[in-house]
Amino acid sequence: MQYFMQLLISGLAIGAIYGLIAMGFAVIYKSTGLVNFAQGEMTMITAYIAWTISTTVSGNVVVVALGAILAAVVLGLIIERVVMRPMLGEPVFATVMVTIGLAVILRSSINFIWDAYPHGLDVGFGRSIVRVGPIGVRTGQIAVIVTLLVLLAAIWAFFRYSKIGVAMRAVAADDRTALLMGISATRVHALAWAASSVIAGIGGVFFALSYDLSPAMFQLGLKAFPATILGGLDAVLGSGVGGLLIGITENLAGGYLGSGMKEVAGFAMIIVVLMIRPFGIFGERDIERV
Amino acid sequence: MIKYLATASLLLAGAFLSTSLALAADPGITDTEIVIGDVEPLTGPPALLGVAASIGHKIAIAEANAAGGINGRKIKYVLEDDGYVTARTIQGVKKVTDVDKAFAMLGISGSGQSIAVMPLLEKAGIPTVIDVAPVKFLWEPPRKNVFVVGQSYEEGIIHLVNFLAEKNPGKKWGLITQDDDYGVTVRDGFDTVVKARKLNVVYSGNYKKGQQDFSSDMLQLKESGAEVFLAGGIIGENIAMMKELEKLNIKPVVGIFWPGRVEPVLKLMGPAGDGIYAVDYVEPFAGAAGKAFLEKAKGLLPEAEMKGINRYSMTGYAAAKVLISAIERCGKQPTWACTIAELEKTKNVETGIMAPISFGPGVRFSNQKLQIMQSEFSTLSFKPVN
Repeated sequence: MQYFMQLLISGLAIGAIYGLIAMGFAVIYKSTGLVNFAQGEMTMITAYIAWTISTTVSGNVVVVALGAILAAVVLGLIIERVVMRPMLGEPVFATVMVTIGLAVILRSSINFIWDAYPHGLDVGFGRSIVRVGPIGVRTGQIAVIVTLLVLLAAIWAFFRYSKIGVAMRAVAADDRTALLMGISATRVHALAWAASSVIAGIGGVFFALSYDLSPAMFQLGLKAFPATILGGLDAVLGSGVGGLLIGITENLAGGYLGSGMKEVAGFAMIIVVLMIRPFGIFGERDIERV
Repeated sequence: MIKYLATASLLLAGAFLSTSLALAADPGITDTEIVIGDVEPLTGPPALLGVAASIGHKIAIAEANAAGGINGRKIKYVLEDDGYVTARTIQGVKKVTDVDKAFAMLGISGSGQSIAVMPLLEKAGIPTVIDVAPVKFLWEPPRKNVFVVGQSYEEGIIHLVNFLAEKNPGKKWGLITQDDDYGVTVRDGFDTVVKARKLNVVYSGNYKKGQQDFSSDMLQLKESGAEVFLAGGIIGENIAMMKELEKLNIKPVVGIFWPGRVEPVLKLMGPAGDGIYAVDYVEPFAGAAGKAFLEKAKGLLPEAEMKGINRYSMTGYAAAKVLISAIERCGKQPTWACTIAELEKTKNVETGIMAPISFGPGVRFSNQKLQIMQSEFSTLSFKPVN
């Protein structure tokens, strides 16, 4: 039981990070109909900026958190305005290729701006170990699970009750009708990119707190993408839950079936789920009316 | 008289042409300059080794240039980034040899990348000294123009596991390796010793390249009761493993391999990284030779590049020293043939940061002497184990 619990808690912690990044994917897809292949890289850049703030401005956790959120907003807005907006109306394939190009540029920028060495994000929090009997968990891991749950609730309320949230849903459902109703699609898109950058960035910062920062961190995006497919590419909350499911499945498979199964298990689960629900567990079925 | 002059002119033209042809056959040399090319991963995670190796080359080149160059010719260093992508390594080598007309090559990127460019280098015949990723394929069978400074991965692992086995008789062993050629080499070396010494291996894991969470793997290691653990990760993987072991409240005897023996890793591992054993063939920076190397680098490198120095800078420096010294021995008109012959004659060349380097007829591998080191968290350094 102790073995199972340790696997479960570690799975939840890494799954929460996948979930946050997966939510970033879903926010952009839901608002713009685009899969952002630079999501992992945007996550990494925000984490590196947080590290820079912690080493140059202040190591205070509040300063680092606020600075990282602000930086993520700016990063999301710049990418939307400079790279994505000019692609509006272009074929989806071309736009997706642009995000792939963006991913390569952001990935390479790590070595140009920072360096190839791993770094630890030290904000005086997140690294200490809490022991409950024989089970150990880092405070950063507890914090990321709690953060994901809080964000899931906040995002649910945002889409259901806030004007902007309803506007985003309207643009996602039918951008032309939304336009006729006076909703600015470009503004909604900009907001989606900023929100996605912040949500995924939070995941990146927590990863850096619990593990470390390195130019390999972009690979988190590759783990989070299956999570969003599992939860539903258009389901922001579902993607968060998908992350948790992938994290737990990976860890249980790794712990009970062997190291080699860790990577395979998550994808095997996706195949099975997609065969039953091709639009993901929480995704909405596309209805085409003729 | 006119006939006499015409004959003399023809002879002079012939002599000029033959000299020009000789120079044309061996590119990369002018009266004032000699070009040395290199292809390394300068972006992406493996930049940690590529940047460091290129810094080592730069130190040796700056040192030679400060002393007047190679017999009066300044060395120009041409460096290409391959991003650790084999297709780009091939492209980079072609660019350096065909466009930049390098006279000799250093480097070159990772093991897979070096192997991939071997036919190209062999066909070109350009003198090459490899220093980043020494794997047997690069010197077995020996290639006329390709020399390798270092020690084989397999020998390194055998040395480390033998040391740990002698120090920890009768203990239970655990091993985890990456699912690529690097991991296979580590596993092969490990298995050699396991077979010879009949070690009791209770955990054997294999992780996918790029894996960042090792919680289930380390939990399995704990459950297996392993007391000696060979962590076959490179950089980030080893850090993650050590942190997991700390979280799980266990502290086995740990051995790591030289690609991960870089000092910043110890800071990130925290106290969990104290007492780790490592194997290497270059001197640790905490020793006198390491400190002297850093002092030398300070005078020759811009300050921004100093932070990129690690053990790969030492291997890069040593290889560049050997190459420069061979070209130098060729005198005023060095050629590829002479440089290759002089490289072959390399005997006990001192670099100050590893055992003396030697090659020989048919011997293209320097076979460096290995040493065991142990990490010290309080000083964030590795120290030799006597």
